[in-house]
Amino acid sequence: MKSIIQVRTFWPLLVWLLLFNLISSKLQAQETLSLSGIVKDKSTGEALPFATIQIKGTTTGATTNVDGYFLLNDLPSDTSTIIVQYPGYAFTEIKLTSGHFKSGFKIEMAQEVKSLDEVTVVGVREQVTLVDRANISTIKLTPKVLRQLPNVGEKDIMRAFQLMPGVGASNESSSGLYVRGGTPDQNLILYDGFTVYHVDHLYGFYSAFNSNALKDVQLYKGGFESRFGGRLSSVTEITGKDGNQNKFNVGADLSLLSMNAFVEVPIGKKFSSLVAFRKSYRGPIYNQVFGMFNSTGTGQSSGSKGGSNATVASYFYDVNGKFTYRPTNKDIISLSIYNGTDNLNNSSVARTEGVSSSTFSSSSTDLTNYGNLGSSLKWSRRWSDKLYGNTLFSYSNYYSDRNNSQQKSITDSLGATNSSSQGLFENNDLKDYSFKSDYEYDLKKNVQLQFGGFGTYYDINYTYAQNDTVTILNRSDQATLSGIYVQSKIDLLKNRLHVLPGMRLSYFSTTGKPYIEPRLSASYDLTERWTLKGAIGRYNQFANRVTREDILSGSRDFWLLSGTGSVPVSSANHYILGASYETPKYLFSVEGYYKTLSNLTEYSLRFNPVAGGGGVTYNENFYNGKGFSRGVEFLAQRKVGKFQGWVSYTLSQTMNNFSIYSSNYYPASQDVTNEFKTVFLYKLKKWSFSATWIYGTGKPYTAPSGGYNVTLLDGSTQSYYTVTAKNGQRLPAYHRADLAVNYILFGGKKERREIGYIGLSVFNVYNRTNVWYKQYAITDGQITQTNVNYLGITPNITLSFKLR
Amino acid sequence: MERSTRTRLITILLAVTFIGILVSCQQTDDGDFTDYAILQGYIQEGHYFTLTVSRQVPFADDVTYSSDDINNLIISVDYNSSTYVLTPLGNGMYIDSSIIVNEGDTYHLSFVFNNQQVSAITTVPYKPVNFQSSVTELEVPPQSGGQGPPQGTIPEPVILTWNNTDATYYIAVIQNMETNPVPITSGTTSQNEKRFRTPPTALNTSEIRPLDFTYYGMHRIILYHVLPDYAFLYTQNNSSSQNLTSPSSAITNGYGIFTGLNSDTLFIDVNQP
Repeated sequence: MKSIIQVRTFWPLLVWLLLFNLISSKLQAQETLSLSGIVKDKSTGEALPFATIQIKGTTTGATTNVDGYFLLNDLPSDTSTIIVQYPGYAFTEIKLTSGHFKSGFKIEMAQEVKSLDEVTVVGVREQVTLVDRANISTIKLTPKVLRQLPNVGEKDIMRAFQLMPGVGASNESSSGLYVRGGTPDQNLILYDGFTVYHVDHLYGFYSAFNSNALKDVQLYKGGFESRFGGRLSSVTEITGKDGNQNKFNVGADLSLLSMNAFVEVPIGKKFSSLVAFRKSYRGPIYNQVFGMFNSTGTGQSSGSKGGSNATVASYFYDVNGKFTYRPTNKDIISLSIYNGTDNLNNSSVARTEGVSSSTFSSSSTDLTNYGNLGSSLKWSRRWSDKLYGNTLFSYSNYYSDRNNSQQKSITDSLGATNSSSQGLFENNDLKDYSFKSDYEYDLKKNVQLQFGGFGTYYDINYTYAQNDTVTILNRSDQATLSGIYVQSKIDLLKNRLHVLPGMRLSYFSTTGKPYIEPRLSASYDLTERWTLKGAIGRYNQFANRVTREDILSGSRDFWLLSGTGSVPVSSANHYILGASYETPKYLFSVEGYYKTLSNLTEYSLRFNPVAGGGGVTYNENFYNGKGFSRGVEFLAQRKVGKFQGWVSYTLSQTMNNFSIYSSNYYPASQDVTNEFKTVFLYKLKKWSFSATWIYGTGKPYTAPSGGYNVTLLDGSTQSYYTVTAKNGQRLPAYHRADLAVNYILFGGKKERREIGYIGLSVFNVYNRTNVWYKQYAITDGQITQTNVNYLGITPNITLSFKLR
Repeated sequence: MERSTRTRLITILLAVTFIGILVSCQQTDDGDFTDYAILQGYIQEGHYFTLTVSRQVPFADDVTYSSDDINNLIISVDYNSSTYVLTPLGNGMYIDSSIIVNEGDTYHLSFVFNNQQVSAITTVPYKPVNFQSSVTELEVPPQSGGQGPPQGTIPEPVILTWNNTDATYYIAVIQNMETNPVPITSGTTSQNEKRFRTPPTALNTSEIRPLDFTYYGMHRIILYHVLPDYAFLYTQNNSSSQNLTSPSSAITNGYGIFTGLNSDTLFIDVNQP
């Protein structure tokens, strides 16, 4: 019955959307000009997605699409001046002439003032990030500016986002983003259109994304558009580099963590390609991170016992490939491939020769093997100046196999071997086959209609076993998710008001229900400097990463398909309001948000399973709850000049309510009340300096509070423990300062261009001991508490070279 | 509208909005240690109704217990539509010698501890039916201990069988009955090892491996018919958080075990060849 009601409510909203479009177009009757074209990097020919183009002296503007195309309406005359901005590139002003209005207008952006076309460029501005004036809760970051920020071995796009307000910064062990109280699984990560389900390398200290292969990253912190779906909190949209379209290029980076190399090969004018490869080596940083995780880990073997120790291999690598073919000036076909693997091995083998020609051997395995394989094939076509569409087929696989166990095997004199394994076995495998087709149609001068369809087939499996015979949890789920969306970008009131109403309709096969997600965002340019913004929307999530609570040795999580009784489809409502004040040099922004979450799921073995007809079933140990997150974010940024940077402060509260733990709301594990971040960047000729400082309230945790014994029927005594209120304790505050200095290398005879840099970076400069989590060992009724700490002071040197 | 007025208006609007978002409060838990009662009650057919109440040992030093005296609690038991109050024996032990536990009866106990109503409920399962052992005598060669394969000819495992049409839980406890038994493995002195158990099972059979016996002599094999609560105790693992909080789901506002039991007994004699 509910679904029927939902379908009924959909059509009036759709009609309203169309009416809104028609009315709005009537309001704009003035005759003006339109300009279409493409924005590209001057030296590589790469199209620049989501670049902003603004008519000087007005608030009228446009943004390029994912392939760099734009359509700018309401130009008052053919002698207007436009301003084009893209982070990391020179700020470009172009005085238009009638020649620019012919089709095929190309705007070329350059990184250095000296190489710019003198006719079109009058000013230069290079900024690290861009907070979007028109779009709410959106941050843009270009990987090429990452080297300016301090790092721990790798330039990392996800770490850079963690320096922005509203994105949790005190998570060294997660590259996944905690956006406005959301967990990393609630953040949709699209890499060239395919979904990436797990972004961690080396226990989360590094992200799966090699910055040498990336062109552009957009983070939508909330209230995101209808073209995105399937997640509760946020969207990270990553566009990979197409590769240099003009000349062959090659480059390499070497740090104390990894080796990184890329090659760009154009063939003719129509084909470009990029392949990037990165592999860690067991250098000082890798060993420091690996050792930190394993020295205090649970159930670890302390090495061999008199026998020979096996050689263990531990590493991560990733490969990115993108191959782009432009058969005509209207079509782009691109194939993007990503493969990343982590092999974390802390095993040991002890071997002892037995008596009577029998052999005993025992070994301890602690192997975590996980990775992603993803690929997308995309066809984009510019059907006309007004209609642009792209269609995409993609595949994404995330797998994780964990084996933390002790094996014993005995081979008797007759050669028969009997072996057994005890410990923890966890396997998670997720496959996502998707199809997507998106269109943008410029219906009227001030109305762009965007619409599309999508379909995904999920195949998600998870098993959790405690020894080779006892499987505690075993799930295998398949489902299809399909649907359509429609949204419209509308400019009203002389381009002061920008409205984006939208609707997403999904059908999920597991529940057999339709899901309607109405969304609306708007921004109003009160003055040239003041902008007010707001958004509201509904969001659903069909595949969730469920937390498996483990108080003694740290909780872990795994991907499951939602929709069954024990793991329902989760949903969220977003309410966002904000304002920004922007001058040519400074940006001040404030945004408040409130987000309700329902049908959240956790898995815990803390409670006895439901006894069925004779079988113990832990398959039902899923617990459901609800939550909310609210907060306010402040940002003050200096955008231009030799000295740049920003200061941000976030006050927030994220609460959960799972009735199994408590009848009241309690702080969610990711709740951070106060978060303060400062980023300072300074450039002096060939040198660039940066310093960051982060402060965050300690995260909540649950601790054992007491113990007691129960005498069993066989006379033995077993100890049990009670715990504090769920997340009733707080870790000490997290804070850290990082520093970096880079020396930029220039080359080239005709043109002076950047060919690399030498970078020195120091992470955690004052060696603050930040607690990651607490681990408990309880023996003879006594508790031993160990703080598992994050990384101490860690220097790094990076050498980076490229041909061009 | 003048710029300054407009700016002021925006500031007020934003301030009101953000204060609105942040002011409303939710009730939350605090994270302190809570003094819960710990129960241990095996409600076994043919025995008096007995119960032991104790306290947790807190991990923190600065913890204060409630003022309740665990030796003087007023604990009432409801069964067969009557209410009985248990008699304290000291050391947290309580008894009602007027209640002889019966198969199939449901016992509901309740009392107040630390201003909370503690309650627990259990039903006594039926006596094992047709409990049999494959042998009544076993010959196990002496062992020297240490690592290595077992010495001598080891006999087949002892097979225990019983009826279990409803797939309920059973556990066998094997206990040496000699006063000064001779160990099978030289050097064994621990008296704790005079008793051992088979894993809980919802099947109708279980086996005892000959080298599970530690001592020679007469042994008692007690087959307990247990409730799922009790069977789950053995699936728990010290390295996970499963043994945090109550092993029994039958207790509210307290921890421990409160479970009905029934049993049948056989004997087996373990000798040297």
